[in-house]
Amino acid sequence: MSQILTGLGVGLNAVVAEVFQVAAPKPLPAWAKSNAGVSAETESLKSAISSVASDLDSLAAKSDETSAEIFEALKYLLEDESLFDMAVVHLDEGWSAGAGYGMAVNEFAEMLAGDAAFEERIADLQDISKRVQASIAGIHMGLDLPSSGSFVIVGEDFSPADTAQFTPAVVGVITSKGGPTSHTAIICRSRSIPAVVSVTSATGIPAGTSVLVDPVGDRVVVGGTLADATKALTFTNTGRDPLVEVRANIGSLEDASAAAKTGAVGVGLFRTELLYLNESSQPSVERQRDLYASILAAAPAGPITVRTIDAGSDKPVPFLNMPEEENPALGVRGYRLIQDHRSFIEDQLKGLEAARLVTGREIWVMAPMISTVAEAAEFAALARRSGTFKVGVMVETPSIAALLPDLAGVVDFVSVGTNDLSQYLFAADRMNPSLGALLNPWQPGLIRTLERIASQAKEVGIYSSVCGESASDPAFAVLLAGLGFDSISSSRSQVDAVRAALSAVTREQAELLAQAVLSAKSAEDTKNAAVAALSAL
Amino acid sequence: MSTFESQVEVIDPIGLHARPASQIVKLVKDSGVTVLIGRVGENLVKANSPLMLMAMKVKTGETLAVSVESEDEAAAAALVAEIQELLRG
Repeated sequence: MSQILTGLGVGLNAVVAEVFQVAAPKPLPAWAKSNAGVSAETESLKSAISSVASDLDSLAAKSDETSAEIFEALKYLLEDESLFDMAVVHLDEGWSAGAGYGMAVNEFAEMLAGDAAFEERIADLQDISKRVQASIAGIHMGLDLPSSGSFVIVGEDFSPADTAQFTPAVVGVITSKGGPTSHTAIICRSRSIPAVVSVTSATGIPAGTSVLVDPVGDRVVVGGTLADATKALTFTNTGRDPLVEVRANIGSLEDASAAAKTGAVGVGLFRTELLYLNESSQPSVERQRDLYASILAAAPAGPITVRTIDAGSDKPVPFLNMPEEENPALGVRGYRLIQDHRSFIEDQLKGLEAARLVTGREIWVMAPMISTVAEAAEFAALARRSGTFKVGVMVETPSIAALLPDLAGVVDFVSVGTNDLSQYLFAADRMNPSLGALLNPWQPGLIRTLERIASQAKEVGIYSSVCGESASDPAFAVLLAGLGFDSISSSRSQVDAVRAALSAVTREQAELLAQAVLSAKSAEDTKNAAVAALSAL
Repeated sequence: MSTFESQVEVIDPIGLHARPASQIVKLVKDSGVTVLIGRVGENLVKANSPLMLMAMKVKTGETLAVSVESEDEAAAAALVAEIQELLRG
């Protein structure tokens, strides 16, 4: 009998192997005062630092270049002189070596806090702090992965220092936390290691049990065999036109040229912030015109949907003053920047209009992070004054999703950003590794919201599109077409796969699939309903 | 011991982050001289700790004072020029 554990799959290949549980290290001792005296504690700290340094060196020596850099960076923090001096201050106060070092790390972490550029360094510092305290307490911290054989390794989540220790014996990975964009998921995808993340009960699978890691099925089957693996859906190209137009997402000239080699009809999302992140001062309208003209000229034939700047204090543009915020995802970002930077957004639209005149391309413009009809109307008026565009807004906030009918006569189109819509709909931070399951696009709460957006847009005659990550999944793309969206926009590498899926189904089949999905009650059931409908074709 | 005073500008789009901070500390340590860095008019910190440099949270476009304790003005000026290079990003 086999037991099935669900999660979020990473990759397309399945694997069967024995489970290797990565044990959580023993808890570190509580911070305490020392009986040994200041000089003994100082010596103990020094020797722990040099022992951790040599551990990091030996890890670096065993890993590839990228991983070696990670250990190198950790070592810099470990051997920081001020950090050591600060720890010694606490030793002088009578604290033991581990406590003094932990306190000093916390003080630096506090000094660096609140700045997105340092978030990863703070995590690194705490990693170092644990290693030093463990070394003093004689607690072993290594992952101790087997170097031969084949294992599926299981743990809560893996840090960069952890994944850098993956040996060739790691043929599959299961984590109990972490979402589709966690560090573990990214590393497994890039190394083609089959993985399922966010499997709540994963750490309970006994070591040595044989499991099937089935990423396409978003599940782990305890005792399963490769014959049980879910087959990736394949669609044969029928040569028909896809059910709805498939556009491409781009952010640079390179993307535009690559997208032009696919079957994409135009661009459904041109992320413009990349053009500004490396500029130290606000570029002139002429410079913007030239930047845009080169990209517009290279983009695939069809309309090009340009999103005005979508920056915030977590991805700041150097020449715009963006003060730090407690909660950047809920802060002054996207169109809200108009409060302080109206002239910048006006110049961006002027630059685009000038580029439109140079290239003769059809341009649609849309604003991100719109939450009221008044904001939509203000943007539409601004855009229409600035040039000849079709004008739209992104639907990312639950508030604007609730107001769709009121956008009639205000905008020509809407485009749904499913990544941010999920984040705001579920109140689940995209950066939080514990919340990955809520951000699964197959969540019924997201799908039913999408259904309402598509049908209300249709009723009032607004063109609707989806440009989030979810639209790059062929099965999800068929669902979106069945829900009534007029076009979708996929990442350029997925355009042709999505086109193949959308040309393999009829409108009636897509609508039946959508109905089946809408009646399902969980993220597993919605996806299963879609896969079942597609497999039956 | 005389001191050579100069200024540098942070051009790196992410500000004075971990990588340039570590590179500056390595450069200063290799040079063997004492270097202080900080915002103009504020207390300068000894450039022997990447964490202290990072903790100033210096942003793109800010100007920093650099003070080099050295008799050799030409060598000090060259060191400041190298620090400026590291702040270009």
